[in-house]
Amino acid sequence: MFPFVEDSFSRFPSQSNIYGLCQAGEQQLLTATLKGKVVCFRYQELQLKGRPVAKEVQFTYIPVDAEIVSIDAFTKSPPNRGLVVGITFIKDSGDKATPFLNIYCDYEPGSEFNLDSIAQSCLNLELQFTPFQLYHTEVQCEDGSSETVFLLSGHDQRIHLYKENASLHQFEEQPVERLFPELQRLPSNVLWLDMLGIAGNRRISAFGCQNGCVGLALVNQTGPEVLQSWRVQFDSPISTVLLFPLRCQTEPSHASGETSVEMKGYNLLVTSTIEMAVVYRDVHEFGLSRSTCLSESDQWDAVVCALVIDLDFDGQKEVLLGTYGQELLCYKFHPVGSREFQLLWRRSFKSPLLSIIYLDLTGDGLKELAVLTLKGLHILQHSLACTADLVLERLSQRVSALRAGSELESAQAPDIEERDDPAKDEECAAHSPSE
Amino acid sequence: MRSLNYVQRVSLDFTGTLFPHAICLGDADNDSLNELVVGDTSGKLLVYKNDDPKPWVTRSCVGMLTCVAVGDVCNKGKNLVVAVGAEGWFHLFDLTAAAAANKSDSSSQHESLCSDDQRPFFTQHIPANTKVILIRDIDGDGRYELVVGYTDRVVRAFRWEEPSEGSDLGTGQLVLLKKWLLEGQVDSLTVNPGPEGLPELMVSQPGCGYAILLCSWTQQDSSGSGDDASATPGSEGPSRDIVLHLTTGRIHNKNVSTHLIGSISKGSKEESSKCGLFALCTLDGTLKLMDSSEQLLWSVQVDHQLFALQKLDVTGDGREEVVACAWDGQTYIIDHNRSVVRFQFDENVNAFCAGQYTCKEGKNSPCLVYVSFNNKIYIYWKVELERMESTNLLRVLEEKPEFKQHMTALGVDAEDPAAVRALVADILYKDSKT
Repeated sequence: MFPFVEDSFSRFPSQSNIYGLCQAGEQQLLTATLKGKVVCFRYQELQLKGRPVAKEVQFTYIPVDAEIVSIDAFTKSPPNRGLVVGITFIKDSGDKATPFLNIYCDYEPGSEFNLDSIAQSCLNLELQFTPFQLYHTEVQCEDGSSETVFLLSGHDQRIHLYKENASLHQFEEQPVERLFPELQRLPSNVLWLDMLGIAGNRRISAFGCQNGCVGLALVNQTGPEVLQSWRVQFDSPISTVLLFPLRCQTEPSHASGETSVEMKGYNLLVTSTIEMAVVYRDVHEFGLSRSTCLSESDQWDAVVCALVIDLDFDGQKEVLLGTYGQELLCYKFHPVGSREFQLLWRRSFKSPLLSIIYLDLTGDGLKELAVLTLKGLHILQHSLACTADLVLERLSQRVSALRAGSELESAQAPDIEERDDPAKDEECAAHSPSE
Repeated sequence: MRSLNYVQRVSLDFTGTLFPHAICLGDADNDSLNELVVGDTSGKLLVYKNDDPKPWVTRSCVGMLTCVAVGDVCNKGKNLVVAVGAEGWFHLFDLTAAAAANKSDSSSQHESLCSDDQRPFFTQHIPANTKVILIRDIDGDGRYELVVGYTDRVVRAFRWEEPSEGSDLGTGQLVLLKKWLLEGQVDSLTVNPGPEGLPELMVSQPGCGYAILLCSWTQQDSSGSGDDASATPGSEGPSRDIVLHLTTGRIHNKNVSTHLIGSISKGSKEESSKCGLFALCTLDGTLKLMDSSEQLLWSVQVDHQLFALQKLDVTGDGREEVVACAWDGQTYIIDHNRSVVRFQFDENVNAFCAGQYTCKEGKNSPCLVYVSFNNKIYIYWKVELERMESTNLLRVLEEKPEFKQHMTALGVDAEDPAAVRALVADILYKDSKT
């Protein structure tokens, strides 16, 4: 059942936390460990072989007695180029602990993506609050261009916005309400934040708080103005909130000739530390009214990380939950039937899970699952033999479709293409703002 | 170096301590599925089956058990369990009856059988100070011999002999074939096909060395002396018939404890029959793979104290990998091309073995067995790997001829990695309406 094969494991000298893993660029991961060390993980091509390499990156201005809280990285929105890495840490020099946010970014042409040179150019910001999650999202500027900004939640019950000042080539804190009106007057400290851009220049944003409150808002990005907002109260701290689209296929109707009609809905996954994980369905239409529980998800201690990805390449996404009880759970979505999410498999690890990311590390188009545990980083790769067979099968289908298409071309080829393309375009548009 | 984490394991209860050679995997009850046999220092022999944390059978022996083995030592076509104590007591157990008894539901019958079967059906006193045993055909006659290594640098070979053919097992006894006296401690015994394809008995010698022990009775047989080989064994000069080999290379300490394993399968039958592969490891971290023509295939230096050496086919391609374990739990799996996979067992290791065992799925699978210092034996039962080295999907696809054909048909340049990558990503994550 478990579709992965472990490809490598990198042991870390000290533990990390739930904010300690992020993707940096296309094929790299950054992991922050408690004792001020940042490790870059990637696959290195050497003599026609790919080798996993975990190398420490010396980020400047992180003192030896610092304890890293969170790390995040993003690639600047076009037309700007470059990788930006943010690291929050607490410097404990005996009497008083001082929190900082360091933002690393290189403006030198040619070295915008060079991690070693990025690590040397630092903007050091002292914080007045204990930092939690460092998050990034894309916002629309007044002139219609888009820009990626950092959002940092703190123990002062606020979320802070860090935006690049283009003229100064520098990041600075700006009032959050100007761009994110939904993030004002929060009920508690926010532990996890997630946003998703949707069609019509709108955005859904969700946050989960330490006191168990979950907030959800539908925002029009031009303005910006809050169109609708919802709140729900849980009994325990919220560990993650995650917004994701799901495709539902309606029953095929043969009369009209169409095989099926696709419906896309946006959903919100909420995991809390003692309760079962919950998925709220179609939140952009129904808010937090349609909920469904992920049964048994409270059986292995607190759920601390979550991910929604298509693991079996069937076009339908699965929900992955990582628990402190050392288990990775996979739930499959069944559009029909009463229990919409069913536990498909679970896999044990040697230590508690902290964070999971799905990305293409090996550069072959197939993504790998990176699992950060208390002891280190596991890279799980899809079974290559099975996946290769699947690729070949689909390739041959494409080839035969192409041949059939070219035969039909004289008659009515455009019809097929028109039906396929809009769905794909919409998919791309919906994905890009969140990534 | 590629590093991995195995997680699927079962833990077995084991209270007591054991010698490093008092553990082995083998088919003790002749049901074609392997069991784990463990002997402890108080003379208890424990046999574990499947994932049951309690022993399947327990037997008592005389003295401290130093080595256990499973094999057809009597040449009856049936595996027996051998347990040898430090004091020289040799025990033979037939567990096939125990398997039959366990199957029958009648409890009264079960009990009576059990009490009767508690004792070994055969015991014999052989010279004391045993350390390691081996049940293999060492002289190429198609019959199994028992080889015993001693702590006083002596190796003795025995054969099971019976007064007349076809009589009961109980009437036979072990007869000494030969005694060899070596210069250094013997930590392992193994058999490896020599350059001519005949089996050679090899023993490890300190400082990453090994010695080949010649079976002189076979020469007597071939010369047609007609005398019973057991008539004058051990009386002639014991240091004869030993060919000592010292391997070259970076050896810091010529007295360092060395382990050896031979007959490492190369995959194809014709190849493995002659010029067998064997591996050596030392406590100071040297690992070597050689063939019987003394050619070095590779050498690896690690900074862990290796104390156990085994072979195991983890990739399922018929070629056996070398598995070495260190006291601190670091385990190395190395294939013939020197690709290394590491696994860290999180505790100190009392004893280690690797082999085929039937744990969960009702069939033999490659397993790693660790005896810890806190009354547990851990069996990692899912250690199979698709491959030893990391690779990616493109390399796997390139090996398939139809992939290139499809690429040409779709007008994608198969030599352009970016284009192929984009196509694969599109096919897997977008093209899913089928």
